[in-house]
Amino acid sequence: MLSFKGNKEVFDLLGNAATMGTHLVAATFVGFGAGWYLDKWLGTKPWLLFIFLFLGIAAGFKNVYDEMQRILKKDQGKGSHYSENKSED
Amino acid sequence: MAGGLPHPLLIMSELNHALGTHIPNHVWYTWFGMSVLFVLGFIVSRKLSLVPGGVQNLAEIIIGGLEDFVVTNIGERGREVFPFMCTLFVYILILNLMGLVPGFDAPTANVNTNAAMAVCTFLYYNYVGIKLHGAGYIKHFMGPIPALAPLMFIIEVVSHISRPLSLTLRLFGNIRGEEIVLVLLFLLAPVVSTLPMYFLFMLAKVIQAFIFFMLTMIYLKGSLEEAH
Repeated sequence: MLSFKGNKEVFDLLGNAATMGTHLVAATFVGFGAGWYLDKWLGTKPWLLFIFLFLGIAAGFKNVYDEMQRILKKDQGKGSHYSENKSED
Repeated sequence: MAGGLPHPLLIMSELNHALGTHIPNHVWYTWFGMSVLFVLGFIVSRKLSLVPGGVQNLAEIIIGGLEDFVVTNIGERGREVFPFMCTLFVYILILNLMGLVPGFDAPTANVNTNAAMAVCTFLYYNYVGIKLHGAGYIKHFMGPIPALAPLMFIIEVVSHISRPLSLTLRLFGNIRGEEIVLVLLFLLAPVVSTLPMYFLFMLAKVIQAFIFFMLTMIYLKGSLEEAH
């Protein structure tokens, strides 16, 4: 068992690196699927598919943007982790 | 039976055969992992002492370390939702590492196991958000600018639905891939080639369990904090 004390940063970084790609792709697929089924349901063959596909891509980019904001905020708060959390409560 | 390749030996399919049941293998292995956790939990909780030793020491390192991590990230409120996340981590860790034991297969190499956990996570963080904020939880979906709220709502809903999908597929892809690599290498050159991979995959499996845990934490953090 790896000890969590020293490796927290490494794990955190690896986690961030590994999650970015799937976040982008998964949202695209969800948008595609939503459009596909709505088209089937409402009978508006190609249009809702396109709209929701683009919404899905936008959501994917939003996911990556949020992730970036999170990493940025954490980097800035480095060194003053403790006081930052104190003020939050 | 990783990827349709012949698996050397799966003891649970032998067990299925012997009992005449048709329970899928990954369910058997999940039950086995659960029983391992139950037994471990029983052993740890039976004789708790102020000076920990043995199993209690290990459990305290894992759970204490994770709790510190959660509290530094979410804040004190994280302690309320910590049991859910910690259970997920330990459970996934055991299920992942089971793939490295000869005769066993990782239940997380099957999409169904992962989808169940991802849907649980999805329902749980939404439940926590609704319980805490009530109807105001919908503000989490509206984005910062009121004029763009209808557009942002759809985008946010799509992005929220994509979360369980990405959780499922990431864990499934990684663990299934590792199983396939192990079986392939075992077919090419038994034992000699698989032994070094064991060390790499032990690390990779711990990391995958940790990633699932960390993402659950991030989602819970998002639903616990005030909307922007």
